[in-house]
Amino acid sequence: MIEIEKHAWDSMVLHAERTYPDECCGAMLGRIQIDKKVVTAAVAMENSYEGEKGARYELRPEDLLSADKEARAQGLDLIGIFHSHPNCEAYFSETDLKNSCPWYSFVVLSVRDGKFDHARSFLPDLDQTRADREELIWQKS
Amino acid sequence: MAKILIPTALRQFTEQQDAVEVTGATVGEALAALTAQYPNIKKNLFNEQGKLRSFVNVYVNDEDIRYMDKDATELEGNETISIVPSIAGGSTAVAEPQAAALSNEEVARYSRHLILPEVGMEGQLKLKQAKVALIGAGGLGAPLGLYLAAAGVGRIGIVDFDVVDASNLQRQVIHGTRDLGRKKLDSAADRMRDINPNIAIDKFDTGLSSENALEILREYDVVVDGTDNFPTRYLVNDACVLLKKPNVYGSIFRFEGQATVFAYQDGPCYRCLYPEPPPPGLVPSCAEGGVLGILPGLIGLVQATEAVKIVLGIGETLKNRLLLYDALSMRFRELRLRRDRDCPVCGEHPTVTRLIDYQEFCGVRPMASEAVPTDGAIDVTEVKKKLDRGDDFVLIDVREPHEYQIARIPGARLIPLGELPKHLNELDSDADIVAHCKSGARSQKAVDLLKQNGFRNVRNMTGGILAWSDKVDPTVPKY
Repeated sequence: MIEIEKHAWDSMVLHAERTYPDECCGAMLGRIQIDKKVVTAAVAMENSYEGEKGARYELRPEDLLSADKEARAQGLDLIGIFHSHPNCEAYFSETDLKNSCPWYSFVVLSVRDGKFDHARSFLPDLDQTRADREELIWQKS
Repeated sequence: MAKILIPTALRQFTEQQDAVEVTGATVGEALAALTAQYPNIKKNLFNEQGKLRSFVNVYVNDEDIRYMDKDATELEGNETISIVPSIAGGSTAVAEPQAAALSNEEVARYSRHLILPEVGMEGQLKLKQAKVALIGAGGLGAPLGLYLAAAGVGRIGIVDFDVVDASNLQRQVIHGTRDLGRKKLDSAADRMRDINPNIAIDKFDTGLSSENALEILREYDVVVDGTDNFPTRYLVNDACVLLKKPNVYGSIFRFEGQATVFAYQDGPCYRCLYPEPPPPGLVPSCAEGGVLGILPGLIGLVQATEAVKIVLGIGETLKNRLLLYDALSMRFRELRLRRDRDCPVCGEHPTVTRLIDYQEFCGVRPMASEAVPTDGAIDVTEVKKKLDRGDDFVLIDVREPHEYQIARIPGARLIPLGELPKHLNELDSDADIVAHCKSGARSQKAVDLLKQNGFRNVRNMTGGILAWSDKVDPTVPKY
């Protein structure tokens, strides 16, 4: 289970809505507890995909590296990645799967007509062949 | 020594260290030293050919080794090495993944469906695109999971937080003896994937609650309720009404079962039938009252049939009809159900417009109150000592005679809870009395009853005969 604290969630939604109609992306920092992951901060990142960004995203590894450093400096862990699907279901697409990494939770936010609609979290496997759903909870505004 | 920073998810392989110091003249040697020290990390970083996995990037200080000398990048010995995944993705502008066709394997698998005109290719594709949520992977969930998977329901979400216990195997046929102690979710999912590898299974390792129910159930087309308690039953009902999802209901007790379809096409909901929950303790659970192992199989398959019919849009469902089944007389009956215009959740002027606290609504006390010893409680080990010392006290077993035949504590006197009022005059109100049952719930009622009748020195044996078996005498069977 992954739980996202309010201010972190708000900034993820804001980033997704502001980046609409393009896909947004970013990292989630927090702590892994015995029974759940708790996201306490979200780091918005630039979608570095070269091309039509409405249906693709790419994270710069350098940005992840600096997010990881920032997390360590704050005593937190880099525990997840988020991105948005404009005017589309929050599912884990084949493209998402083939470019994923099993070490993190992947939260997908569906944005319809510029407004947040729904979100889901996924845990991809090592071989990028399937992603299991993960229970996602956020603190409502 | 170079320092390798370990990503959070990989620290389980490095004894939770967030950084590991290694020696090596090159990056390749440093990583080899890491995997030599912590072999389990290897498959996360390297594929079977020994190459770095496609998503793994290695940075020395802030430089990507792909733009240096790759594996051969030399190290002086004071560098920080970071392992950074490359991540991308995208919706690729298609909406829901479409199940536009069946593979040849699927055509062969579903051929007996495909030649039924009522199902056919169109119906099988509907099943493939259907999303069904199963609440519980227990007695009802077992046949449901097996048959919905076999029928080709494309996505099945299962909500369950329990583990497989020996007492489940008499009816929960999705789990096997080898699964004892495993999470029911994992055991059920393995069995379902074995039956049909074409389906996707979402596992929700949690109890359904007011906080998560809407979020979890929102994505499914049909909800099938396989729960065994009133708070969750009301919760599933209210969530389905609020989300406008059909709720395929089933319940079982001893030799009798019920099934219907709630909140479907303007039909009634569970609250139209039962506006208020029964007082706590009035209706025993299967753990207390027992259940014929075959019964959930039959009721679960009635539910599976209704779920599949709703997906296919064929036939006449149990909407407006409560099916009653009695295994002993082998009779099916039906009760007519009607939607209640004054229903608090699906009526014309609903007062329940969001999920509430269902434990409180059903008057269920938190479990903690039973676990914490109180004035009137005594631990099993204390009872054992009293017996061994030969203390002058009365140990009353308030279970039923057939339970006494299964397991008993030597020296206990059997007086079933229901018989207790008739036997009060046989007991000395000053005597030191300890009551026990299977788990401590019924004996607490016995203690309360005795105290109300002037017995001064009465205590409840915490945890009942189950705790006795755990802590005192493991030869006493648990049931």
